[in-house]
Formats: sequence, structure tokens, C-alpha cells
Amino acid sequence: MATWDTFVNVEFKDLQEDQEQITIIRDLTPGRGKYRSTYARVKLSKDSVRYPETVWIRLGKGQLIDTPCSMHIVEFIDVCSESQGRRD
Amino acid sequence: MGYKYYKDNRAYIDALLATGDAVTVSQEVDWDLEMGAIVRRVCERKAPAPYFKRIKDYPDFEAIGAPIATYRRLAIAFGLDPATPIPEIASEYLARTSSTPVKPKVVDKKGAPCKEVILLEDDANLLSLPAPMVHDGDAGRYIGTWHVIVAKDLDTPLVNWGMYRQMLFNEKTMVGPVLPFSDMGKIFWNKYVPRNTPMPFATVINPDPLSAIAGCAPATLPEDQFTGMLMGEPIELVKCETNDLCVPAHAEIVIEGEVLPNVGIEEGPFGEYTGYRTSPREKRTVYRVKAITMRSKPIMAVSNMGVPTDEGQLLRSFSLALEMQRMLKDQGIPITGVYMLPESTHHLVVVGVKPIYANIATQIGQLVFGSKLGPWFHMVLVVDDQTDIYNKDEVIHALSTKCHPVTGIRVTEHGVGSPMNPFVSTDERRYGKAPKVVFDCLFPYSWPVSEVPVKVSFNSVYPKNIREKVLSNWHSYGFKE
Repeated sequence: MATWDTFVNVEFKDLQEDQEQITIIRDLTPGRGKYRSTYARVKLSKDSVRYPETVWIRLGKGQLIDTPCSMHIVEFIDVCSESQGRRD
Repeated sequence: MGYKYYKDNRAYIDALLATGDAVTVSQEVDWDLEMGAIVRRVCERKAPAPYFKRIKDYPDFEAIGAPIATYRRLAIAFGLDPATPIPEIASEYLARTSSTPVKPKVVDKKGAPCKEVILLEDDANLLSLPAPMVHDGDAGRYIGTWHVIVAKDLDTPLVNWGMYRQMLFNEKTMVGPVLPFSDMGKIFWNKYVPRNTPMPFATVINPDPLSAIAGCAPATLPEDQFTGMLMGEPIELVKCETNDLCVPAHAEIVIEGEVLPNVGIEEGPFGEYTGYRTSPREKRTVYRVKAITMRSKPIMAVSNMGVPTDEGQLLRSFSLALEMQRMLKDQGIPITGVYMLPESTHHLVVVGVKPIYANIATQIGQLVFGSKLGPWFHMVLVVDDQTDIYNKDEVIHALSTKCHPVTGIRVTEHGVGSPMNPFVSTDERRYGKAPKVVFDCLFPYSWPVSEVPVKVSFNSVYPKNIREKVLSNWHSYGFKE
């Protein structure tokens, strides 16, 4: 299993758990591919062993939550289908 | 015959090493935070630029950090003595860029070192480049921190070079903000997006130093011609592999592709030039990569934005102030000079002026905030012609003694601002709005001469013969300095 991280735009206490959501996750496996990002449909849990994947949570300004969470990756999603609509 | 300058980054690094303004780092460093941490500390200590010879996971690359993060290195980039004072570097910049635009020269691929390695299709893989993880907590590896992005208007020959941060998303994708009031933003949002047409781009990593300076400058003419003015002769460009854009032939790495209209990927947070991670994580502009070309043993560039002073802060302050000076003089305002403090992360500009009529400070504020330079700063401090604008002690003294807390501070609401402003509200940040303020550090024009306070300093209250006597006897009094 790889280790992942993801950014959330809410306070940690408000983390949406056990519901499918589409988010960007980053692969933290060391090497040239570290931090490669991908869209995925996932379920998150603050319980570090509820799901098979380990995921670290970062808040909107990059603050790391210092205890790991767990994640179930339902499916990876092609970047093009998720990137419609935008603003700068 | 051009001015003295460095045709490529390698000759520039040699010059920095020769004067002690760069150091060679021979031990292996990790692209994952270690390089960034070194460069950050270099910026905060104004230390020499680190020239990294060995990068973990990327044995075929080298890297240079903080390439122009000090005025010494800026002077060297202009071919000047590293000890050249700031006003003299400014004069050199203004003299070179007041001449006739110099059109670039397109050279054959054989004469272009940036074509020594050409990677197309699947081989053009962004993960093959040592993009640094600059700060812990950034949203990704930022491949574009010291670079120019080349783009072209859809309807005219207008070419733009600009420095817009780019985050590596995956093998073929980069993402970053292209703010609508920026030069590339105006081209992209005004022309390509409404027609749903991809915009060709070329990201030029580690060009020669003068091209990078031109990319940072708010120039009013195409930056390839502006670079030629800085060089005093045409810059050599070469055509891209997959589009019609031309890029500096002596650059280290070139990434070619298309900017996609009407799509966005979440980007940020990122440690920004203000010294904070501020701008929200939002869907930003997407770059799809088609080709990578580079020199053999290419040299990556690592700029590390954060608390002062990095090269973005220094160069942006330098060129914003001088373009402002040019604009104010063109308008006939009797200014004595303009200096933007890099320590203010190019938010505060000091304007020296001969106060020959009332409300001249307000007029200066309206002109500079209303110009295309306006979105990038929000504080204008106007001092008189007796104040040395480059001397922070004198400027702080003028601010704290001459600026009336009620009548001397003029606030303008509803200005255009950057979403990276740390102090603005969430709404202002989201829509690029910011208030502006003028600090009028001039005694009111209406005061009679008898009422104007007299400055008490060595230079202002002693007769000339006394000052000359004191100066000539200074050492004999027993003072060493």
C-alpha cells in the first residue's frame, strides 16, 4: 500500500468521513514520482485503520494534521473529466 | 556591440563563483525540501547562491538556487561591479531600456544549446525533471519558480514573456494561477478562452539572467525586444518543436505545450512572495505538455519565495519602481526618484518629489495606482526631495514626523489587487480586490515658510564652512570612521 496525502478546505473537525467524495490525492512513495497527483473518488476516516490506505490530511494553507487518517480509494478519475469549470 | 552581459546561465554562474557570490555544493542534496530549505536560508541571510552539483534521483541534472536574490548578483547580471550602489544599477537599467527596441534574432536549431536533448510525446515526462518541493506544505512540486512563460496573442504578433508559477501535477500536466490583470492573463482570458482555443506556451527554465529580469519587469513592449535592449544587441531565439513560439536559444530547459481554456485543477497552497501561504486552493489554469527540450546536463533553477529577500521580491521591486519612475516623469511630475523596498515584498513604494504644488502626493498615488502596475502594490509613501529614498532611516523619520495621521493618510477603496495579499478579506482575495493608501510625508503646501519645521541634521543646520571644517578634521578629532 502506498501512503497518500490530500488537502481539505475545511477545519479538520468538519472532515467529511465515510462518504464518497472526489478529491486530489498525492502519492508519497519516495522517488521521482513522489507528490504525483491524481483525482480519485475516495472515502476518508479519521480512524487510522478503518480503511486500507494511509492518508495524511493537510488544511487549506498546507497545515499538516499530525495524526494519520485512513482512506478507501473507490476509483481513480481521469483528470480531464474533473477539471471542467474553473476560475483564477 | 552589446553591453557586457552573460549569454547563458552557465557564464553567469561562473561570474558569481568568481566574485564569491555563489558557492558550489558538491554533496548530494534532496530535491524534496532539502534544496528548498537551503535556498530559503540563503535568501534570509543574503548568502551566496548555491550551485548544486548532485541532486538525489536526478544524476543528470544540476541546479542553481536564488540566482538574483541580492543587489550584488543583480549588478553582476548587468555586467557591473558587484558593489555598484542601487541608484547606479537603476540608472543602468533606465539607460538601456530607454533606447530603441531591439528585435530578436532567430537562430537555427544547431546554434541553440537548448535543443541538445529533445523529448517528445511520452518521453516528455515532467517527472523526469528535478522539480523541487520548495516548502513543506506546498500543494506540489513547483517546476516553474525562476522561468519565463512565452505566449502569443491570438490576433496580433504580440509576444509576452512572464513569470507565473507552475506546479507539477502529473507526468503531462502543470497548473498555476494566471491572474486576469496580468499580461498573459489578458491574452488568455480575453482571446483564447472566449473562443475555447488552447493557447500554445513555452516555459523557459533558467534562461540567461537578463531574459529572466525582462520576464519579471512590467515592460510596456514585448519582452524579447526588452531583453535585446538590456543586452544592447538582439537576443538569440530558436523556434519551438511543437508550436510557432520562439524561446531563448541558450536556456537550460524548455517545456512546450498548450494552456487549456475552460478547465481548471486545484492549485495551491504555495509559499508566496509575500512571506505567507495566502492565496486559496482553487481551480487554476492547466498546462498540458507536448515536448521538453534542454541542454546536456541541464541546470534547474530554484527560487524560494518567502520572507525577504528572494529574487522575485528584489527584481519586481526594482523594475516596478523604475517603470513607475519612467511613467511619472513622462507625466511631468517633478519627482526625484522612486524606490520600492524589497523588504516590503513590493507592496510599499517610496516616491521622492519636489513639492511645488498642493496635493501632489495624492496625484502621484492616483497615477501609480491607476496604471497597469497598480495591482501589485498598495502603499505609496511620498517624501520631499531632501529625503534620500534609498535610506530607510530617513524614510521612516519622514513618515513618522511629517505624515498627519488624519489628513496625511489617503485611503482609496475598491482597487485592483492580488489574491496573494495576506491582509485582505476572503472576498477581496477571491475577486482580486484591494484598498490602496497614500502616506503624504510632505508638509502642507499652504503652510507659510515661517511655520514649516526646520529639519535638524548635520547637513541642514550648520553653515557650509563649519561642516567642511568638521569633516576635514574628523580623523584628527580621534574618530576612525
